[in-house]
Amino acid sequence: MSDMAFDALDELDDDALLVLFANGDGTAARLLTRRLAPRVLNHAARLTGDRAEAEDVTQEAMLRLWRIAPDWRRGEARVTTWLYRVTANLCTDRLRRRRGGTAPLDSVPEPEDEHPGVAETMQDRARMDALQQALDGLPERQRQAVVLRHIEGMTNPEIAEIMEIGVEAVESLTARGKRALATALAGRRDELGYTDG
Amino acid sequence: MNWGIPMADKDRITAMDQELDALFATARRQSLPLDEALTDRILADALALQSAPAAPARPVPAQAVRPGRLAQFFALLGGWPAVAGLATATVAGLWIGTTSPDMLYAQTGLFESASSSEASDLYLVDAFSAFDALPAGG
Repeated sequence: MSDMAFDALDELDDDALLVLFANGDGTAARLLTRRLAPRVLNHAARLTGDRAEAEDVTQEAMLRLWRIAPDWRRGEARVTTWLYRVTANLCTDRLRRRRGGTAPLDSVPEPEDEHPGVAETMQDRARMDALQQALDGLPERQRQAVVLRHIEGMTNPEIAEIMEIGVEAVESLTARGKRALATALAGRRDELGYTDG
Repeated sequence: MNWGIPMADKDRITAMDQELDALFATARRQSLPLDEALTDRILADALALQSAPAAPARPVPAQAVRPGRLAQFFALLGGWPAVAGLATATVAGLWIGTTSPDMLYAQTGLFESASSSEASDLYLVDAFSAFDALPAGG
């Protein structure tokens, strides 16, 4: 398919692309992968703290998306909402299977930014590792809520839909989760380059 | 209430709570790239499913089919029901415009003469005149 047709299809929403995929359109699969798989990968990396597992979760979540495509009902739920829910469930299954394991430090995303200085990069890296370790220490639901709210940048009603709970429960989970993160990281402030005052 | 946390620690937690927002912002700017090998694995799964015996094709969503200029024009007018109404009104207008006034009077005259004496004469017509031909006194 030409780039022009690719671009034209790229204007369609996820629902429409999923129907096209179910009808055998290969370009729709490429577009959905490019659009959704990075989000799944990063969300799974935050929830599992492990890049290799996050990649497996991403492949499995996308496979489930391909499988549900013929039965997808437009307008009932957003594709991203459904996908975040599936991703969280897959991560939970994996975390339960590997109880007691430790998160590899290379799981945290590498900065892809604007050529910061070496010292700054190292400090950012140390802080991101510390954040991931603190996230790994949270109960699963708190971690999911905190990641969706503060890292994915979603609204509380969106998170409520994904987690299938009320908005007040989301507020409670994110507040408790953030407080727990602050408590876990407070003892490492000096190490992470934060100064008092 | 300090929840049993020493004051100095409480201050550090409060400070960290504020610094967390900056930490989250840094995390938001960073993302794992989707590498080529994973992309290939995902697309291979998609292709395998598409190659499998397929269910009957579903109608392509309206959004996926770009409407033609005529369809866009009709949509502007309010869709097919509005266009159908417009067509009916056009035909009626054309008929009224081309019909000769005589025919119009013929149509409307019935109503106009309803109150005239001619109209009331209708009720004086001998509906049984055929009996006139019968032999009298039979």
